[in-house]
Amino acid sequence: MTIWGPFLFSGVGVTVPLFVLAVTQSASATPIPDHSYLSELIQRASQTKLAESREWHLLLHYRKNVFGGYTSEADDPQFFLSPTGRTDPQAELDGTINAFFSTEHVGSSKQPAQCAFIARYYWLKSELQIDDLKLPAQTCERFDQWIAELNADSITLIFASAFLSNPASMFGHTFLRIDQKGQTEQTRLLAYTINYAADVPADAGVWYPIKGIFGGFKGYFSTPPYYLKVQEYRDIENRDIWEYRLNFSEHQLRRLLEHAWELGSTYFDYFFLKENCSYHILSLFEYADPTLHLTDRFHAWTVPADTVRLVVAQPGLVKETMYRPSRRTVIQRKRERLSVEEHQLFVDITEQVGSTKQEAFVRLPIQRQAFLLDVTSDYLRYQSETDKSHASVYKEQNRAVLAARSALRIPSEDLKIDPFSKQPDLGHGTSRASVGAGWRNNDTFEELAIRAAYHDLLDPEIGHTQDAQVEIASVSVRHYNRADQTRVEQVTLVNMMLLSPMDSLFHGLSWKINAGMNTIRFGRCQLCSNGVLNGGIGAAKESHWLKREVVFAFAEAEADYSRAYQEDYRVGGGGTGGMLADVSDHWKIMATGSYLKYPLGEKSDDIRWFVGSRYTLMQNWAVRLEYNHRDRDNDVVFSVQAFF
Amino acid sequence: MRKGHIVALVAMAILGAQPSMVLAAGIADMGPGCGLGKELWRDQNTDAWGKQVLISTTNNTVLPFQAFGITSQTMGCKNGGKFWVEYKTNMFAQLNFENLSQEMAQGQGEHLASLATLMGVPTEHQAEFFAMTQEKYTTLVEAGEASPVAMIKALNNAVATHPVLAEVSAQ
Repeated sequence: MTIWGPFLFSGVGVTVPLFVLAVTQSASATPIPDHSYLSELIQRASQTKLAESREWHLLLHYRKNVFGGYTSEADDPQFFLSPTGRTDPQAELDGTINAFFSTEHVGSSKQPAQCAFIARYYWLKSELQIDDLKLPAQTCERFDQWIAELNADSITLIFASAFLSNPASMFGHTFLRIDQKGQTEQTRLLAYTINYAADVPADAGVWYPIKGIFGGFKGYFSTPPYYLKVQEYRDIENRDIWEYRLNFSEHQLRRLLEHAWELGSTYFDYFFLKENCSYHILSLFEYADPTLHLTDRFHAWTVPADTVRLVVAQPGLVKETMYRPSRRTVIQRKRERLSVEEHQLFVDITEQVGSTKQEAFVRLPIQRQAFLLDVTSDYLRYQSETDKSHASVYKEQNRAVLAARSALRIPSEDLKIDPFSKQPDLGHGTSRASVGAGWRNNDTFEELAIRAAYHDLLDPEIGHTQDAQVEIASVSVRHYNRADQTRVEQVTLVNMMLLSPMDSLFHGLSWKINAGMNTIRFGRCQLCSNGVLNGGIGAAKESHWLKREVVFAFAEAEADYSRAYQEDYRVGGGGTGGMLADVSDHWKIMATGSYLKYPLGEKSDDIRWFVGSRYTLMQNWAVRLEYNHRDRDNDVVFSVQAFF
Repeated sequence: MRKGHIVALVAMAILGAQPSMVLAAGIADMGPGCGLGKELWRDQNTDAWGKQVLISTTNNTVLPFQAFGITSQTMGCKNGGKFWVEYKTNMFAQLNFENLSQEMAQGQGEHLASLATLMGVPTEHQAEFFAMTQEKYTTLVEAGEASPVAMIKALNNAVATHPVLAEVSAQ
């Protein structure tokens, strides 16, 4: 759920004054409304209790509030046609019917009400069987042109996978593509999209994620062409993209676009956790097909991958799923098809384009030469995006490689690139609950644990970004039988880790950060609460002895706070080394060892071992066996975990 | 006041000044073409503008409703669809220059196919278009580095003088 919101073109400076100009144009003479017909319609609407209907609530985004009434999630006063419309569905309905008799320009988009709120108009027209003779339909040229420009044939839900380097994108992002009539797989880049994002000013500062959580920004819809989104996610941020083609009827598609048109000129306060991109995309689906109940499934947070799973779970809604690999994935997959000798040539050419004159290159068949130059060009483009300070050098090299490539007069083969992790709808749910039991030193315990979000390195990896851990808000409670004590064993506020395997071509660093509380044995204290803040930077390497392993090492710093220490705290640093290994598709193990020395506060040091093993039973069920060792403190726990 | 401007004002008076007409009046140059597009494509430094777009893309300067309801008329295009298509083609060439040059050298790709479609080359003849761009790669990219308009112009010329493409393309 990105807070960043790329929008269409930079023509801002020009288009805004245009709209201002439009405002100054007075509306043509307002016809005298047919008062008897107006009151007839209002009465009919009240008799049929339209203001209480689901569709009216969907159109105005009403939600039950704590006082038992309704409040709209829309925060722009101009979205309402009654002064009390935000909290009064009936008054808003009456105000809307009234406004439809006028040609006066309303809303932020400055159009007659029938055009500005065109979905409301068509819905009421059909519900109230409005007579065109008594309430004439106005032409909505701007809307008609927009619809013509979109040339919509169907809708595709797009999921851009998680991007840990930006806090606003760590859960992924969803938006819609409006597929055009006559579009082919090759030209879907030209389709427009519907994107919802917060408007974060350039000077928002480092605390903008906090502000984003509490609704400090306004969220807007925009319609950038798909090629800009592909560029952003595939080329710049190296995120895999999943496309879910949806099965809306022509009528439903029309409703979706009509409602999007209404929302295009309004705003909502953006809440990063709940009322985010994915949430508002679901609200468009609900109006398109009111039998879908989607947004009310989400209470505290709306995680993009959860919304994808929910959409996929609707019978018949998804027609087809397509994968669009990130540039990094493309390079990795192409490298797998190179022989050792070819790979060496590839590395040589990335360093020195003149290497194409080597005997070893020249005697390759022309198809292999083309293939090598293509993957080299991909890599140089990847480098120019990730190593910005040398971008111009890579660009120049790439030009030379492409010039050599263009001299081989054959088209590149269309390669099928497989993803490294499967599509998000196959992934486990966002939240996790576990029940466990185990031994600690000479005691036994039972444990209950719950985690709000999202994925740790030992969780089943299908559908999640490889080697990327994001844990937010988890707590575990234990009852120790011998000590007869029930206590909060562990709390995690944030625990993130990114392993970024390095090799001769990819040099990205790994990093981790953890803030929370755990239970330690220290000095005379057997079970003591300990606040932890830990962060580290390191490197990782991938191997394939068994199936896939990642070994890693971190240099790290840590600050602890506990009553167990005589000085109440200790600060120090050290290192962690470890390995993550897939034994089979269902079985994964992780082992780490750490040494930390604390020269500040309570002078001490710490040796820790961890060995964990997870077996996946089903998409949302897994079992784990974990062993934790610290100085004279041994802990074994077996748990069953359910994701939801 | 230029002649084109007067014509436009007269036209507005006759047609009863629809909002979109008024929108168009906000643009200084009222000659044929897309107002915004003309400003952007004239003598401009390709890279500077490309950067500007990317800056605004990443800085996320979303303004209310400006990005919504985009059509030929809100972008200030006059004289119907032809200029709007040209405008979109230039915009596409500008914003996808890196992908396009890669695919031209490789003789295929979705960006290149999309460009061919915008330029009116029918799907069944796009393979010829791709081969042509591969052959003329160096000149096309040189032109493109100066400005996307120059690249599109060079492409149009190449299509117009191509034995097959000249016949089948809707130019």
